[in-house]
Amino acid sequence: MVSDGETIATGEWYPPHSSAAVPARLLSRGGRLIAVTAEDAALSDGAIGKVSFTARVGSIPRRAVFTDGSVFESADNDAIDAFLRAGGKSGWVHRLEEFHPRIFVFAVAVVLLAVGIYRYALPALVEVAIFVTPPVVSEMMSYGALNTLDTTALSPSHIKEIRQAEIADRFRKVAANAEGGADRYVLNFRNGGLIGPNAFALPDGNIVLTDQLIELAGGDDEMITGVLAHEIGHVEYKHSLRQLYRAAGVAGLVMLIAGDIGSGVEDILTQGGGLLALSYSRGAEAEADRRSVELMRKAGMDPVAIARFFDLLETKLGDHSRTSMLSTHPGTPERKQAILDYVEILKRD
Amino acid sequence: MDNRVSAGAAANAFERARFTGTASEYFGIWIVNVLLTIVTLGIYSAWAKVRRNRYFYGNTVLLGRSFEYHATGMQIFIGRLIVVAFVIVANILAVIHPLFSLVTTVLILIALPWLIVRGLRFNARVTSYRNVRFDFTGSAGGAFVSVMLGSLVAVLSLGLLAPFASRWLNRYIFNNLRYGNRPFDTDPKLGALYGALVIPAVMVVLGAVVLSALIAIIVVGIQASDASSVESDPLIFMVVSGMYLVVFGLIIIYGLAGLIYRAAVHNIVWSSTRIDGRHVLRSDLSRARYAWIAISNVVVTVLTLGLMRPWAAVRLARYVTEHTAIRIEGEIGEVFTQFEASGTAVGSEYMSMEGLDFGF
Repeated sequence: MVSDGETIATGEWYPPHSSAAVPARLLSRGGRLIAVTAEDAALSDGAIGKVSFTARVGSIPRRAVFTDGSVFESADNDAIDAFLRAGGKSGWVHRLEEFHPRIFVFAVAVVLLAVGIYRYALPALVEVAIFVTPPVVSEMMSYGALNTLDTTALSPSHIKEIRQAEIADRFRKVAANAEGGADRYVLNFRNGGLIGPNAFALPDGNIVLTDQLIELAGGDDEMITGVLAHEIGHVEYKHSLRQLYRAAGVAGLVMLIAGDIGSGVEDILTQGGGLLALSYSRGAEAEADRRSVELMRKAGMDPVAIARFFDLLETKLGDHSRTSMLSTHPGTPERKQAILDYVEILKRD
Repeated sequence: MDNRVSAGAAANAFERARFTGTASEYFGIWIVNVLLTIVTLGIYSAWAKVRRNRYFYGNTVLLGRSFEYHATGMQIFIGRLIVVAFVIVANILAVIHPLFSLVTTVLILIALPWLIVRGLRFNARVTSYRNVRFDFTGSAGGAFVSVMLGSLVAVLSLGLLAPFASRWLNRYIFNNLRYGNRPFDTDPKLGALYGALVIPAVMVVLGAVVLSALIAIIVVGIQASDASSVESDPLIFMVVSGMYLVVFGLIIIYGLAGLIYRAAVHNIVWSSTRIDGRHVLRSDLSRARYAWIAISNVVVTVLTLGLMRPWAAVRLARYVTEHTAIRIEGEIGEVFTQFEASGTAVGSEYMSMEGLDFGF
């Protein structure tokens, strides 16, 4: 009689690749696993090591697959576990997943890990990425960006050559103390058009100054130089590359656990990542402001010249806006105060 | 346990599917999935996907038997490795010369129909019911027309031709689906699909009217205030919040209309689907309830920092499953599966990473 063995579980038996289920029992006898019908007729027979059991997930039915493709299926998970454990095999992942007080420890661990990765691992990864990025990457990016801007928003400057030379001269004095020396930075004059009074830095050291900003300054050349020193700071700290890598890192993190967070939430996380990137860029602006103060001091010019630019923004453009969740730049009054504070700190040293 | 589904006493009666999973049980699986994914720097996510799918398939019970998901973590891991390697190579090429990014984009577009077919076939072949696997026999040409051209037509017509796209897509998917040696067929009627579009279309129109009214109020408010103080704080705040109102308002309106449309189409398509030319499927989701569950799920998940996600996932799965039913005509008899191997998961993984997810 085949039923002399020990019954492991009851369930159903399927022939290979067929839906014709038969009520059955799974027996263990003499190192073999045997599926038998209610009338003890043998259905499948295999050596214990050759029969594979599906891993336990929750309380879904388990399957024992014989080498010929026939399958014994049973919902009696505990009985199958007891048998497998006796054979030295069991599912450690399933034991972790059981609803047990330790699951709350896991929940706390997940939250702490997520915060930790965002706060510490992501910035570290960004630094590594910046370190291994060859200069050719930022040159390519800058070349493309300036080309695009020249064909769309910007046009050639109307400022006289002599005036341009004056500003460029001061710019070189400030840049001489910056990382890489004066030759690393190139000042470009452009008519800003719709962009208006502005100055911006490209990652390769090209800095663009618009005619409108020069006009707005009304002869205060130190102020213009202060703004340019701020842009040099952006280049030195590689702010644009850093921001790019941060955005990519956040997107990567969202993708990493995307399968388990759900599609609606995934979209919200991506949008939230954008808002957080704004707060990062506020930090970058403050950093560049402080660099402006340092560079101006070293060049023997008025370190708070850039603060006058903020005064100008306030009076002429009426920008009293304070920092908010939605802004890329810190509020103007706050920036001015931070610059004055920083000058005091530098004086004390 | 009878080995046949009898049509005896309950002849011609629909039997509903059941979902037997629970939020507390899935919470354990989910939190361990997330934890191990983080600890292994993402490598475990392939095995996590297998455990998640096995849990949801295994708890979907139809006529007393559950579904089973057979993909292995290694298959999915290899699929992901290939996708990630391709993305890295494409990005390096794009840095070397901008023209390369054009080439890789064109390559992906050409390969996309093929990837869609691979993904659909992989997902069908790793799914079984009563020990018999599903299969998908669609061609890449069919995927190009029904999936890519269809979605293009729906977008270009601002949604007005969406019912055509829904019809092409679902006929392509279901008419190429096999349960073992038994075919599926579906023929959703255009009239019914246009009926499904009425409420979403009204929602979009009404939403646009309300949004433009709000914008008009803001514009009037800006003009009414003293022109010399155009840059004052409250006004800048109004302009900025107005911009956000428009952007988020449009996203919410389209999202909500999309949910309502999706639920209605799901009902129409499933209710017009037959298996083996005889057995009839039916779906009776309530559009309002479906939309409510989907939206409140997102809100609750966000408010609990993701920790209620298992509850939300189980809740939606239970609602959809329990509003799906089947009526067996005569006897199913013995169904055979026709193949054994299921291949690698490249197409499937590309789909899930790009956010195009086709579920059955």
